[in-house]
Amino acid sequence: MTNQEILSVLAEAAGNPKKQLHHHLSQGRKVVALAPVYAPEELIHSQGFVPMGAWGADLELQEAKAFFPAFICSITQSIVELGIRGAYEGIHAMVIPTLCDSLKVLTQNWKHAVPSIPLIVTSYPQNRGIPAAQDYLKSGFVQISEKLEELGGTPFSEEALAKSIDLYNRHRKAMRELSSTLGKHPRISARQRSDIFKSAHFMRKEDHLELVEGLIEGLSDQESGGLPHRKEDGPASRTRVITTGILADHPRLLNILDETGFHLVADDLAHESRQYRTDAPTGGAPLDALVERFCKQQHCSVLFDPGKGRASYLADLATRENARGVIYFMTKFCDPEEFDLVPVKRNCDAAGIPFLSIEVDRQMSNFSQARTALETFKEMIEQRRM
Amino acid sequence: MYSLGIDIGSTTSKGALLADGNRIVATALRNAGIGTDGPEEVVKELLRASDLDEGQIGVTVSTGYGRTLYPEAHYRVSELTCHALGAHFIFPGIRTLIDIGGQDAKVISLDGAGRMSNFQMNDKCAAGTGRFLDVMAGILQLRAGDLAGEAALAESICPISSTCTVFAESEVISHLAQGVNRKDLVAGICESVATRTGSLAKRVGVTPPLAMSGGVALNEGVRGALSRYLGVEILFSPLAQFFGGLGAALYGYQTYNKEN
Ligand code: SF4
Repeated sequence: MTNQEILSVLAEAAGNPKKQLHHHLSQGRKVVALAPVYAPEELIHSQGFVPMGAWGADLELQEAKAFFPAFICSITQSIVELGIRGAYEGIHAMVIPTLCDSLKVLTQNWKHAVPSIPLIVTSYPQNRGIPAAQDYLKSGFVQISEKLEELGGTPFSEEALAKSIDLYNRHRKAMRELSSTLGKHPRISARQRSDIFKSAHFMRKEDHLELVEGLIEGLSDQESGGLPHRKEDGPASRTRVITTGILADHPRLLNILDETGFHLVADDLAHESRQYRTDAPTGGAPLDALVERFCKQQHCSVLFDPGKGRASYLADLATRENARGVIYFMTKFCDPEEFDLVPVKRNCDAAGIPFLSIEVDRQMSNFSQARTALETFKEMIEQRRM
Repeated sequence: MYSLGIDIGSTTSKGALLADGNRIVATALRNAGIGTDGPEEVVKELLRASDLDEGQIGVTVSTGYGRTLYPEAHYRVSELTCHALGAHFIFPGIRTLIDIGGQDAKVISLDGAGRMSNFQMNDKCAAGTGRFLDVMAGILQLRAGDLAGEAALAESICPISSTCTVFAESEVISHLAQGVNRKDLVAGICESVATRTGSLAKRVGVTPPLAMSGGVALNEGVRGALSRYLGVEILFSPLAQFFGGLGAALYGYQTYNKEN
C-alpha cells in the first residue's frame, strides 16, 4: 500500500467507529468498549475481546442532560448520550475507570442510563509507588478477568496474556516511532496525524500495527513521504509545536491548525501519545507486568503526581523536538487538566517556550475564537524569530 | 509609502492610514462591522481625508474578527498582533494592553521591544465586553456613550454580582424596581466590566505601563474602575479605537519593506 492509501484507511476508520464496530461484530468478534483514560486492554484482548475506545463524540447533548449537571466534562456526557441513543448496541461491556470525578459519576450514570450494556468498573490506586498499590491493582484486574469470563470471554490464561502484552508492546513501540517520524514530515497534516492515533482506538491492534509499520517504512523511504505538498503554504514555513491535554480530535479544530500553518511534531494528549509511552515489562508473570506498567506510567493529569513532573516533561519534550511552542487543549470542566495547567504554563514561561491554552469540548460549534488564538500564537512565535 | 490598516470588528469598522510607517495621515470609523459596507466606507473616508487615490496605497492589511472578509487586503493579521503593534506605536515601552471590543476582551503582554509575549482572550461570553455595556445601557434607556458621564455622578457603587449578561440584566431590573439610583447602578455596571477584565489581566500578569484599547477604552467609568481594581495607572489615547487599524498599517509597512 502507498502512504496515501494507508492514510485513507486510517482516516476512514477514525471517522466511522460505528462501521468498525459492525465490522468486528460481523466477523463474529466480541467487543468491549473502554472509556477514557486507561484500561487493562491486554487483559481484555487476551480473553478474546476486541477492545474499542469510547471517548465520546462531538454531538449535541440531549438525553444525557438528565443525568449530569452542566459542569461535568462533555466527554463523559457524550458517552452516556451515545449509550442512550444505542450507538454501542452489540458490545459486551463498557469498562469505566474511576480516574477522575467525572468518570466516577459516569460509572453510576451508565448503570442507570444504559442498563442493556454491562458495566465493568476499574479502580486504580492513587499512590502507585507503594507495594499495597500493586496488590490492590492486581486484585482489581483479577476481578475484571472473572467478569470478562462471565460475559463469554475465554478463561484467563497467562500464555494468552503474555501474547497480548507482546502485541501491545509492539504496537506502542510503533506508535512512538511513528510519532517521531511524523515530526520529520510536515506534509502530514494535523488532521491526518489525529486520524492515525484515533483509528488505533477503533481497529484491532493487529491490523493497526500492520498499517502503522507500513507507514513508518513508507515515510522513511523518501523525504517527502511520497505525499503532495499541502496546499496552504510551503512546508518550510510551518511552525513546529507540541500539543497537550486530554484530546483534540475535532476536524474543524485540526483544520484550523493546518490552515494556520502548524506542524504537530509531538503530543502529550491522553487520547494519543500518553497511551503509548510506557511498555509492560516482559519475562515475569504477565498479570504483574500489567500492574507494573500502570504503576510506572507518569506525567498524566489523572495519575497522582505530587511533583507535577508533567511540567518539566513537556518543556523537555518541546526542547528535544525543537518545537517553538506548546498548545494546551484544555477540555472544559476537566479538573485534573485544570490543576496541571498552572504548573505547565509556569514551566513553559520560565523556559521561554511560547505557551497557548485553548478551551475545547465535545460541544464546540463556534471556532472563530480558537482560530484567532491560534493565528495570534503563530504570529507571536514568528515575531520572536525577527 | 502609504500603508492602510482596516480593522473589521463585530460592531464597528476602523481604519488608519500611515505614511512611511511613522506618520498618521488619517483615521476613520463607521458604526458598521462585519457583513456591512462599513469597511468600504472607512477606506473611502481615509482616501477622502488624505486626498489620495487607491493606486497610491502601497499595501493594505486587514485585521479584526472580519479580517478574512476583505478581499482587497494584501495580508490578514489577527487583531491581537495589530493591537499590540498599534499600542506600541502610540505608547512606546508599553508592557500590557487591555483591549475591550464589542464582542470580546483580550489582554496582551509585550516585551521591552514591543513584541507580544503572552495573551489571553475571554471565554466566548459577552460579560466584560462592549456588548454587556450596550445591553445594560439599553435597559437603563441610555446610550453606551452616556454611561461614563452617569457613572461619574454616582454617590455610591451598586455592585452587580452576576457575571452572565442575561442574569445581570434581571439583576439590574430588580435593582431598578427597588428604587436604586440609576447613576449608582451605572457605576456598578462599569465596575462589573472592569473586574471581569481585570481578572483576565491578572491571569496574564499585569506589568506597567498599561494601556487600554478598543471602544470601551473611551469609557472613563470602566477605565477608572479597572485602574482601581488593578492598582495601576491606565494610559489612554483618544486613538484607542484605532490601535488595531494602526497596527495593521504598521504591519503592512514593515512586512512590505522586508519582502521587497
Ligand atoms: S476529560 Fe477530564 S474530567 Fe473528563 S473524563 Fe477525562 S480526565 Fe475526567
